[in-house]
Amino acid sequence: MTIIAGCDVGSLTSKAVIMQQDKILAVEIIKSKAKPQESANLVLENALTKAGLKLPDVQFIVGTGYGRDHIPFVHKTMSEISCHARGAKWLVPSAKTIIDIGGQDCKVIKLDKTGNVSKFIANDKCASGTGRFLEVMARMMNISIQELGEVSEKSKQPIQFASMCTVWAQADVVKYLNSGFALEDIGAGINMAMANRVSMLVSAIGIETDICMTGGVSKNSGVFVSLERILGHKIKKARKLDPQLAGALGAALIANDQIKGRA
Amino acid sequence: MIDIFLNAARTIEPNAVSEEKQHGKLVVGYTCSYLPAEILHAAHIIPMRLRGIETHSLEIADSYYGPFICTFPKCLLQLASQGSYHFLDGAIISTGCDGMRRLDECWRKAGSDYHGSLPSFFHYFDVPHKRESYAISWFIEEIRKLIQHLKTHFNVKITDDAIRQSIQLYNHGRRLMFELDSLRHTEQVRISGAHAFAVSVAGTILPRELFTEQLALFLNHVKNTNTIMGKNQKRLMVVGSVNDDLELIELIEQCGAIVVSEHLCFGIRNEDDLVNETGDPVAALADRYLSNSACPRMFGYFSERLNLVKEKIQKAHVHGVIMQNIRFCDLHGSENGLMEHALEALGIPCMRIEREYGSLTETGRIKMRIQAFLERIES
Amino acid sequence: MRPELSEYPFDWMLWRSLISASRLKHGSEKEYQSALRYIPYFKGVVNTIYNMGSPGQKFLKIIETYVERIVTAKENNRKVAMTTFCFSPALLHAMDIVPVSLEPMTVLGSVMWKRGCLDYMDFCTDIGFSETGCSSQRGSMGAYLARAASEIDFIVIDSAGVCDTNSNAFSFAATYLNKPFYGLNYPATLIDDQTKHYHRDDYRNMITFLETHTGKKLDIDRLREVLNQHAKQDALIHEIEELQMLVPNPMPVTYNFLIYAGRFFFSGVSLYTELLEEMLEIVKQNAKQGKSGLTGGQEKLRAFFIYIDHYSLDLKLWTLLDQRGISHLGNILSRGFSAKAPYIKYVQNHGYQIDTSTLDSMIDSITEINARMPMVRSIRGPYDLPHMWLEESAALAKLLKADCCVYNGTPGCRNTWSNVKLIANDLEKHGFPTHIMYGDAFDERVESWEITSTRLEEFFTIRGLL
Repeated sequence: MTIIAGCDVGSLTSKAVIMQQDKILAVEIIKSKAKPQESANLVLENALTKAGLKLPDVQFIVGTGYGRDHIPFVHKTMSEISCHARGAKWLVPSAKTIIDIGGQDCKVIKLDKTGNVSKFIANDKCASGTGRFLEVMARMMNISIQELGEVSEKSKQPIQFASMCTVWAQADVVKYLNSGFALEDIGAGINMAMANRVSMLVSAIGIETDICMTGGVSKNSGVFVSLERILGHKIKKARKLDPQLAGALGAALIANDQIKGRA
Repeated sequence: MIDIFLNAARTIEPNAVSEEKQHGKLVVGYTCSYLPAEILHAAHIIPMRLRGIETHSLEIADSYYGPFICTFPKCLLQLASQGSYHFLDGAIISTGCDGMRRLDECWRKAGSDYHGSLPSFFHYFDVPHKRESYAISWFIEEIRKLIQHLKTHFNVKITDDAIRQSIQLYNHGRRLMFELDSLRHTEQVRISGAHAFAVSVAGTILPRELFTEQLALFLNHVKNTNTIMGKNQKRLMVVGSVNDDLELIELIEQCGAIVVSEHLCFGIRNEDDLVNETGDPVAALADRYLSNSACPRMFGYFSERLNLVKEKIQKAHVHGVIMQNIRFCDLHGSENGLMEHALEALGIPCMRIEREYGSLTETGRIKMRIQAFLERIES
Repeated sequence: MRPELSEYPFDWMLWRSLISASRLKHGSEKEYQSALRYIPYFKGVVNTIYNMGSPGQKFLKIIETYVERIVTAKENNRKVAMTTFCFSPALLHAMDIVPVSLEPMTVLGSVMWKRGCLDYMDFCTDIGFSETGCSSQRGSMGAYLARAASEIDFIVIDSAGVCDTNSNAFSFAATYLNKPFYGLNYPATLIDDQTKHYHRDDYRNMITFLETHTGKKLDIDRLREVLNQHAKQDALIHEIEELQMLVPNPMPVTYNFLIYAGRFFFSGVSLYTELLEEMLEIVKQNAKQGKSGLTGGQEKLRAFFIYIDHYSLDLKLWTLLDQRGISHLGNILSRGFSAKAPYIKYVQNHGYQIDTSTLDSMIDSITEINARMPMVRSIRGPYDLPHMWLEESAALAKLLKADCCVYNGTPGCRNTWSNVKLIANDLEKHGFPTHIMYGDAFDERVESWEITSTRLEEFFTIRGLL
């Protein structure tokens, strides 16, 4: 029995996936701790408990995410780009373009015919176009991040936000709230602004279908639908697994390759 | 043996310069590779390229410059204002780019707010952006103006003969650099990208006689070394906007690659382009420095630059190109965009990085990108 | 770029919008009012322009004609030059070349359409152009790069040595579109003999470039006609500028915009002369009656804009100024620095002369005109040296009896963002409260007009100006 694992220590959340060859045994998502080591230990331990396993049972572990260099138990580290690409390809095998929006950055990855990364681009200039942007905005509106995603559906007239800058947009949100605009219209406007920003990255790398979306923000239906509209293409949903786990999943799959390679 | 170069590359005020300074030598800083340093050398002045390393905050610079400006000139202003450039006898600001040329005004203003931060010799050096004969005539005039200013301010002689001798010395250094560069082209590389880059940066800092002498020794050492690098390593080239930051090259090499070539204004760029050693030396300098279209400040010469980079890629057997630029550098920002399209079309993997200058660089994120880029090349 | 935008060429859309706008007043007032109901997003700017009275209508005609020449250039067998606002179009008109001046075209898109030129700006980023480059070029340039506009034949600009961002944008376009490129390059000096010689060589070399790419020789009679018209236009502008110094200022608030926009479009062309004549008439009448040009009739404040204006939808900046009783005294784009200008003796007296006696003297004249174009003259070298930005801003603010100065630009402007804090301090020392606007004149995503205008009003209030 070959057990492998992927561990993705991100800036906001940490994720682990445990697999037996192609079968997922257990997954876990936790809020990241102050130290990446702590996050890694905790998230893997929880996942192992769920799978009824212990650390020595795992033959190969690949670490990824911003904290990857500080994970004590990994056998190999890989960049998030490679892991997300691998994970997304497993979730949506027809994917050529992958949009991954995490808490702190947004990446667009293009795959070649064989599923290898042929190009990637990342926005890490500022919070706009990242999960952090939505988090700040949801907080301003006093609603949860889930609710922010759902309000888009109710909106008939989304507000057009002039600014994509998190600081300026906050001021605009306050202004609209104080002027009594409907919460759903403000929320839909925020999701739209986010989608606009992300679409620029996608255009910069060039769209190739199928497009699939991973990362925490892909769970926000408002951003998802707006992005489809702007890009003029359907985006495939990852149905087999929580799309937030794509990085950890990819890491586990790469671990599997390593084992196979050894064999 | 590399230590003298590393020391020069890692510090604002290298030991070798301080020693010369103690012996009464004058030091004049300059901001752009389009300044013919030979002129200063001919006046027995140490020409020193100004650098922004060792900057940890920008609180002074930000009160002069606006927010949408590259952090390189801001770092220079910060260092100057806080007194780190106390040892300069003069500074020459060139029209390298708009952010840099405005250092003239910002530094002068800071000079009146921070006593002693402005050297007594301060010169604005205009450089044409084109190469037609009338532009070269204008450039010759600019060089003559600089010579005149140096002569009257420092009470020095700058004869044609002295300039000619300086040209010979600088050309000799260029030939050695060119030779050093060729040792990075072979399959078995004998010098790391970081060390080669340190030598190149040191060339703009150290007294030229010392640099040339040390470089000759070092070159000999490298040729005979048993240390071989580059086996199973991805061979990268670094291009783009101003970089004198050794750590960036080191970071790339820490990720497992080897930097075998660069096209940067501090790195080895066009060492094979020598100054004519006969005839009017000022005209020869103007001709060489302006014929150099290696920087996108020369508008309309993109294809020449692209060819230069392509040639280097071929020579050094480069697997991938890292294109970096400091945020708000429009010149290199869009040049990288054009070059990326052209090179990718030829099947050469490229990666663009926009970053802050020097110690302000976000290393964690850059490192992730470099790793992903190497994984991409490997796959 | 949204797919639907590539369906219709940018300049063609502008042209059709302008044609419709200029016909709106052909019917009765009632018809006009009911037509406005059908153009909810467009009526703001239409109203603003028609409120300018007859000069407004004339101005509409001017821009309609300008854009029409672009979209019909090919069928009329004319070459199209992509160029920049600070390049005098007079020579191009004299050589029967159709100019597409990118920045004024971006202004048109920004003030007329709710979406502005944002999609085109983003297209530039998509294809690799620096996101931090100036939005004034990126706007309309995106459409030309996306081939969602008329095809251009070559690029001719004059910003090397003046503005890197500008030069860089055009040289990017030249590479991307694979078109011939000529850039005039300016030294930091202006009036010494060596510089004058250099100007002549560079300008004449450019004429050769244009002759090569059009296959036509520069026509001496046509050049004379254009320069004579230019001199006439200068005289009219100078008369208006003289009257602008009066308190209250008899000039309606939008006239500065019309003066510089008209100059960027049709320097040396009679259409622009006619516009100036009409404007002068109105300013004279107001002056005779001692009336302010503001709609409310009362001038509460006089503001001098040291750089450019803010081109948000519907020309909202001017509406705000007009409503608050603030006279707009012009900006860096407003002045031409002719030797006969009323302010020239206050800026070291080195204006251009127009001499139409020989071909050589004419080329020299137009060379000198070009060296004094906005930005070319003022931000070539260090801002605080003679013939530069500080000198002219302080002199003009004083001469025009400004109560305050305002800076507005774009974050893409490396030049002014490198020294705007310095010049603002200097102007304060000259006694002018000075406000720096942080928005982008063409891209409200940087800072919304609501925030920009709130801060501007805050400045007027806090500094006790209003």
